[in-house]
Amino acid sequence: MSLEIEEFLHTERLPHIWCPGCGNGIVTAAFLRAALDLGLKRESTVVVSGIGCSSRASNYIDLGTVHSIHGRAIAVATGIKMARPNFTVIVLTGDGDGAAIGGNHLIHACRRNIDLTCVLFNNQIYGMTGGQLSPTMEVGGRATTAPHGHVEPPFDLCRLTEAAGASFVARGTAGHIRQLEKLIKKGIAHPGFAFIEAVVPCPTEYGRRNGTANAPRMLDDERTRSISKAKAAGLSRQELAGKIVTGILHEDTTAPEFLQAYTADARAQAEEASAPAAKEQK
Amino acid sequence: MLNCPMHMDQWHSHLLGERVDQSSLVIQGNRACALGALDAGVRFFAGYPISPSSEIMEAMADRLPAAGGVFIQMEDEIASICACIGAALTGELAMTATSGPGFSLMQEALGYAIMVETPLLIVNVMRVGPSTGRPTAPSQGDVMQARWGTHGDHPAIVLAASNVADMYRLTMAAVRFAQRFRTPVILLADQLVGQMRESFSPELIGRYRLTSGDFDFTPGYIHPDLAREVHRPHVLGSGSHPHVTGLFHDDTGFPTNDPEKSDSFLRELYNKVAHHRNELCLYDVKNEGKGRVCIVAYGSCARTARAAWKLADQEGLPVEVLHLYTLFPLPVEIIQQVARRVEFMLIPELNLGQYAHEVRKMAEQWTTVIGMGKIDGTLFTPREILDRIAELIGKYESV
Ligand SMILES: Cc1ncc(C[n+]2csc(CCOP(=O)(O)OP(=O)(O)O)c2C)c(N)n1
Ligand code: SF4
Repeated sequence: MSLEIEEFLHTERLPHIWCPGCGNGIVTAAFLRAALDLGLKRESTVVVSGIGCSSRASNYIDLGTVHSIHGRAIAVATGIKMARPNFTVIVLTGDGDGAAIGGNHLIHACRRNIDLTCVLFNNQIYGMTGGQLSPTMEVGGRATTAPHGHVEPPFDLCRLTEAAGASFVARGTAGHIRQLEKLIKKGIAHPGFAFIEAVVPCPTEYGRRNGTANAPRMLDDERTRSISKAKAAGLSRQELAGKIVTGILHEDTTAPEFLQAYTADARAQAEEASAPAAKEQK
Repeated sequence: MLNCPMHMDQWHSHLLGERVDQSSLVIQGNRACALGALDAGVRFFAGYPISPSSEIMEAMADRLPAAGGVFIQMEDEIASICACIGAALTGELAMTATSGPGFSLMQEALGYAIMVETPLLIVNVMRVGPSTGRPTAPSQGDVMQARWGTHGDHPAIVLAASNVADMYRLTMAAVRFAQRFRTPVILLADQLVGQMRESFSPELIGRYRLTSGDFDFTPGYIHPDLAREVHRPHVLGSGSHPHVTGLFHDDTGFPTNDPEKSDSFLRELYNKVAHHRNELCLYDVKNEGKGRVCIVAYGSCARTARAAWKLADQEGLPVEVLHLYTLFPLPVEIIQQVARRVEFMLIPELNLGQYAHEVRKMAEQWTTVIGMGKIDGTLFTPREILDRIAELIGKYESV
């Protein structure tokens, strides 16, 4: 672990709870480097997470941190951001937390295009509760609640969030640390809702049941399956099966951001409300 | 600090602060609640529409932005209370309003707010029945849910409004309590109280402005007399960078599995309300000390109880009324005080005896506690209550 991120790390709380080989630490470190590079301030940066192994990241980060309840991180973050528009608010969530129980909040935050950054750790499984299926698990995947193979198709969360209105959508993997860091950095700097899916290995609960629990091999696999957006553009659906399309997948810096629109509207209302009083004074 | 259960007369100066306007208002209960919230300094509202509470959020949508506050209609009630918690964690006074189905959805997050000691106001304008029930009829069916709806042992402050003026003043009182005790406060109303229009009672004409007085409204301030029981005032962006978690945590704010720390954490959380019961218990007694029967009532039933007492007076029946504005923490002292002197306590409720059970536990040692329940979406009439009283006294005398 590079030393500089210790600035935003509760080193006294280490060792962390994650299993050896878990990808959550890689994504957390990428976020911390992005935060350092952007010069984020402790006083005005809040990290909100839900419940899950991935959401435990907030326990180790030395910024304002809110470890909320399962699925509701985005809703809590919305309240924080609306009350303090000058804060940088980042949501760290998992695929179960952010896309199953919290899926409704996710799409509504996208629709509002509120200036939050959501980093979703996608390990395709419920790690914390012991390996149950997740809405991003592929058909045929194995979980304690899909012991004979999963039959439901998964979400493509990047397509989902783009369609719902997110103005910045990107995907990276724990296997491409530098790229992931850049994507998170761009997402935080982006004015509007930024969604970054980080594909992470969970050797313990996913790996053991689905091919390999060897973390380096899982990271290698992420790398070999990854393909850039440009390269993916020329491929058919069949050819894309099993691939991880990475990079910035959608970016629109002109889309109206919710809080700016809200504040302008509120200011107009306040002026209107004070207008008669001003007249009376004359 | 106030240290006795409070008679209504003592309230206004203590809880409402300064009167800033003398003009009388004829207003709907839900709108009076919104006014009270604005006057108390609530500057954040997140909600989801539901009858019979929607007028509160509509009024806030109309007034808050111009008052420098924030209003947002969220995607559901879970999101609503969570957004309020987020805003409250930055030091804003936040509230939401709902009815039964929405209140049910809020329960998990309510527990989180209690656990992380976040001030918050939740108004539940009750409708009848479980599920969708009857959205446009009054009821008091959520009383025990307000006390025990979220899982685990936890403290609760629950107030009940009986008229439009209450919707204003109890909203203000609730905000004070939430701030002081750093915990969510639940204000129960019902369809009748929420949607009826009436003027404020003569003693409460006009509008008030909360003055600090005994209460310090600085975000994160811990009152010295609560220093042992309130843990960490989490204020995001206040210069500190706290960690907020719904897991058991110690004084650093970080999770702990230590049995001793867990035990003391939860006990202190519980005791911060239990030990200050006296200042939280608001009530009013009519015909004090002159009744053989005491009608114990709250919410819209208290209106009927007062009318019944007036009728009883005309008919020569010895009746007192104990009107409770605070349901939880349980107003043990005043209930036991009255129980010692009356033969019967009669508790009319728009439910199947939820609060009567609580009163029975406190009072049956001294008096006979009798519940009267109604769940058809209509109110009691004063005559119904009086007939029951006559029956009780008659039965007693014929024995
Ligand atoms: C309301 C509620 N339901 C269920 C749970 C139990 N639970 C805790 S974490 C979790 C799933 C987490 O999965 P994910 O978000 O994918 O995170 P991971 O552990 O895989 O990082 C569940 C179901 C809970 N805490 N709260
Ligand atoms: S169970 Fe999976 S996600 Fe959780 S810590 Fe272990 S490897 Fe990581």
